[in-house]
Amino acid sequence: MKRERFLSLIFRVTTGVMASSPFLILLFILIVLVRDAIPAIRYQGSSFFTGVTWNMGNMYANNPIVHNGVQAAPGASFGILPFIMGTLGSSLIALLIGVPFALMTAFALVYKVPKPIQRVLSPMVELLAGIPSVVYGLWGVESLSPFIEFKLGPLLTRLGHAVPFLAGPVGTGFGLLTSGLVLAVMIIPIITATTRDLLMQVPTLSLEGAHALGLTSFESVRFVAYPWVKRGIFGAIVLGLGRALGETMAVLMVSGDAANYLPYNLYSPISTMASTIAALLDSALTDFTGMSVHALAFIALTLLVITVITNLIARLLVSMGRQNVHVEM
Amino acid sequence: MKKNWKHKAYAIASALTVGAMMMGGVGQAFAKTNVVKHSVKHASGPVVHLQETGSTLLWPLFQLWVPVYKHVNSKVDLTTAGTGSGVGISQASDGTVQIGASDAYMSNRLLSQHPGMLNIPMAISAQQIMYNIPGVKKGVHLHLTGNVIAQIYLGKIRYWNAPQIQSLNKGVKLPHWMIVPIHRTDGSGDTFLFTQFMTDTNAAWSNSVQYGTSVSWPAIKGALGANGNNGVVALASKTPGSIAYVGISWLNNGLSEGLGEAALQNRAGRYLLPNPGTIAAAANMMIGKTPADERTSLIYAPGANSYPIINYEYAIINEKQANPATATAVKNLLLWAISPQGGNKAVFMDKVHFLPLPASIAPLSRKQIAKIHG
Repeated sequence: MKRERFLSLIFRVTTGVMASSPFLILLFILIVLVRDAIPAIRYQGSSFFTGVTWNMGNMYANNPIVHNGVQAAPGASFGILPFIMGTLGSSLIALLIGVPFALMTAFALVYKVPKPIQRVLSPMVELLAGIPSVVYGLWGVESLSPFIEFKLGPLLTRLGHAVPFLAGPVGTGFGLLTSGLVLAVMIIPIITATTRDLLMQVPTLSLEGAHALGLTSFESVRFVAYPWVKRGIFGAIVLGLGRALGETMAVLMVSGDAANYLPYNLYSPISTMASTIAALLDSALTDFTGMSVHALAFIALTLLVITVITNLIARLLVSMGRQNVHVEM
Repeated sequence: MKKNWKHKAYAIASALTVGAMMMGGVGQAFAKTNVVKHSVKHASGPVVHLQETGSTLLWPLFQLWVPVYKHVNSKVDLTTAGTGSGVGISQASDGTVQIGASDAYMSNRLLSQHPGMLNIPMAISAQQIMYNIPGVKKGVHLHLTGNVIAQIYLGKIRYWNAPQIQSLNKGVKLPHWMIVPIHRTDGSGDTFLFTQFMTDTNAAWSNSVQYGTSVSWPAIKGALGANGNNGVVALASKTPGSIAYVGISWLNNGLSEGLGEAALQNRAGRYLLPNPGTIAAAANMMIGKTPADERTSLIYAPGANSYPIINYEYAIINEKQANPATATAVKNLLLWAISPQGGNKAVFMDKVHFLPLPASIAPLSRKQIAKIHG
């Protein structure tokens, strides 16, 4: 008896630790980032989020400057508004283009495509989600950017007098629109796969009922299937958004790197938070005050907070979407 | 990881004598080095593991060295990684690796924080300015000055047919085409060299942007950044009107992509292309100006035949290694690397477009190498 109780205790403790590990890991990362970011928070304050100039300072200077009790290289100023705008702007474009595409694909896969073809196409969606981002980046550089520079860009600029943000110059095809499109292609598989799984849960009985009432296939999707999975779809979209916000390599390759200015039109070069961290860490390591690394940690913290919030919302909505299905069954 | 490595290193240390480290005994053509002359052949004894990380410009050279050095000294197992100069400096300073590779020397302050660090030149590299201008014939080398290039990157000169550029190139018909300045997005030794050249030739630049492996670029609408030398060449070749700074290892690549190569004005006022002659001329002019710790800029050298953008490629080494055996292994590797019969041989240098260390600089590097101890 004693032995069994002992074993059960061990089992409870180990499973408890294992179960809480995702939370503990997240907490650990958060603590490390906050600790690393504190000097940068003290140095830059709230102008970190509103400043337009990013300057790690003169790392070859002989003396540091001191501000609010922390040291930095002379000239150091850490404003990340262009990175925030670049991140949110490119993710927004990705959603605007990716979401309709992904939803249509999911609806078609579940309701329109014959079963044998569905069995072939369905795994392909997951396959697309697994392609390394550098491959998408290369495609963006080689194919997409010339297409935007010479075809799509000049076409869109004709709408420029109606929507000033669409006006030229188109530039070189490296920038906001290209980044957004690359991200769109990257998030489509994620949203499609999640939505497809949700649609599979819509009860056949309801759909058959809709057919019996003489609803067209569009109407049965619009009035029967869609209401069933509405919240879940929203969650799927937020999952895609999380991917877009955090994407580093593909965006680094096609963003054009806007140094110290905000995007001025749809084709403007941009920088994002994730790609900035990746690109600048190496130089930051040679900052004798260490402040540049703290500032990058502050960006990472900002990005982590945004990503965690979007993911939490997504999880919540997906689970509510599923419950919805069960309750009404 | 670090601890494991240390344990291992101590074990190796106890088992070894200095002499055991010297030669593997595989008779190769490459083995005819200075190292060999002083060494005692000794086939037994455990292997010493050396790790190198850092500059992606130096990485291809280390990659060429690794298989050859195996035959020079079979008792040293050298692994290399192209991580970026900043990581190289930082890991060598922390003691995570034995050899950091960097295109830029350590700053005074960084050195005072890590007092035992040596900056040892192993070779000489250079950088060229490349451009993509519609209507300018292939083979025409535009004349450019550091001052004019700085004004382009400051956003003061926006068109290729601006009088400042046209007056330097009387015979060339330049188009009224917007200039797209391209910089490196990632921290880079190339940015370090380029911004030093700008600082030396333009007062406004030296008062504002200054120099570093990553700088705060003046905000110019339409200016672009690219990741790595390969990214810069690719972006410049598909962007009409662009100008870019490119490491010499990528010269052939840039030319074959159709980019033009500028003749840069040197301190004496002559317009020169980078080639072994002009790079060596510049290096020779800077020998007297190189201090004992060899941390110095070679940019904008005096002399009629000196190309203005050259630099030392550094090995960043902690003079106090974990144990005598490791210290000896590092010393021998570096002595071989800078030897004209070893790592500085033309077969290696030519492939990466580096120049060997001038004979008059090598003694300074050797003196620094002698400081390494266990």
